[in-house]
Amino acid sequence: MIPGWRKAGRVIVEAGGVIARLVVGGMFIYAGLNKALDPVGFLKLLRQYDLVHTPVVLNSIAAVLPWFEIFCGLLLVCGVGVRGSAVLLVTMLVPFTAIVLGRALELHANAGIPFCAVKFDCGCGTGEVYICSKLVENVLMTLLSVWLACGYGRKFALRYNLFGSGDV
Amino acid sequence: MISTNGARSNRSRGLAGFRIVLIEAVAIGIAGAVLGFAANSVSPRGLKLWRDYFPGAIRPGEFTVSGPTNVAGKGTVTTNVTELVAARLKAKGLTALGLEQVKQLFNDTRRTTGLVVFVDARDENQYVAGHIPGAFLFDHYRAERYLPDVLPVCMNAGQIVLYCYGGECEDSEFAAVILRGAGVPNEKLGIYTGGFVEWSTNGLPVELGQRNSGVVGSERR
Repeated sequence: MIPGWRKAGRVIVEAGGVIARLVVGGMFIYAGLNKALDPVGFLKLLRQYDLVHTPVVLNSIAAVLPWFEIFCGLLLVCGVGVRGSAVLLVTMLVPFTAIVLGRALELHANAGIPFCAVKFDCGCGTGEVYICSKLVENVLMTLLSVWLACGYGRKFALRYNLFGSGDV
Repeated sequence: MISTNGARSNRSRGLAGFRIVLIEAVAIGIAGAVLGFAANSVSPRGLKLWRDYFPGAIRPGEFTVSGPTNVAGKGTVTTNVTELVAARLKAKGLTALGLEQVKQLFNDTRRTTGLVVFVDARDENQYVAGHIPGAFLFDHYRAERYLPDVLPVCMNAGQIVLYCYGGECEDSEFAAVILRGAGVPNEKLGIYTGGFVEWSTNGLPVELGQRNSGVVGSERR
């Protein structure tokens, strides 16, 4: 017999998992769509980071990344391959956040303004943003993705695991 | 003994689970990449993967900035945008035009005979929202669409004024490099560095909609 508070806790965790899937997935779909609808704009923003100098590589990133984000977002929202999708999102979010932070530090040093007053279009698909709110958002998204990768968010999932049994 | 075996079994199950999640991530990654390339190839806004969209681009470290500079922060050299743009144009072998020169060219009677040509290097939405009257649209990111109309006009012209937004905007420079590559002599090409922002904020005439639409107004922001 499971005590009532334990049952309630389980329900909250299950609901939290579904909400995390919807929030992270929804954000990636939104950001991906914004970039996919204006790939040239995204290409210009990517170039600002001065990380890739080979046109074909830069073009490929600008062309594929938005659709890739939409795809991963849809998988999370629908609950297909949730842990694999979440792992992919973490591997994207961590370097993206580091790169955006690096650019913000550069702008902060050049403009001589307070760090949190730095505002620029980071190519994240959400237009111009204040760097501090962007960093907080990215950290939260990363934590939620890690949580999903740990095996949460099974409720209402169409196919939680792509391979193997459901208890992995 | 039983508990040790149980822990070992749990650990191996955990490792197997982790491996499956990684395989799942790789599979999703491959599927996502394939889908991304496919979507880009069928999308009307898709990018041409092999094209250099920034021809003649020069990285900040590859040209020198003349004039006074100041050092701020961790050894970062800062300078004003005008100096940066001037240095960049010099490195690309392009000529900068100021507002007074552009105003003179705009009022030049040769403009009506096509010997002085204005080229707007922004995108179509920005062009329709307002451009220098009579300017040709040349969004170099969609060069294949605009070059057939713009190139003959530029070949016949004696002076071409290219502009984009102004400031750090480089699109007019890339457009000039493409025109130069297509055979337009370099000496004909001039970059209006103040761009559309400077033009429109000075209350100079602005044409709305398509070229020669007749809808001309002046905007002062």
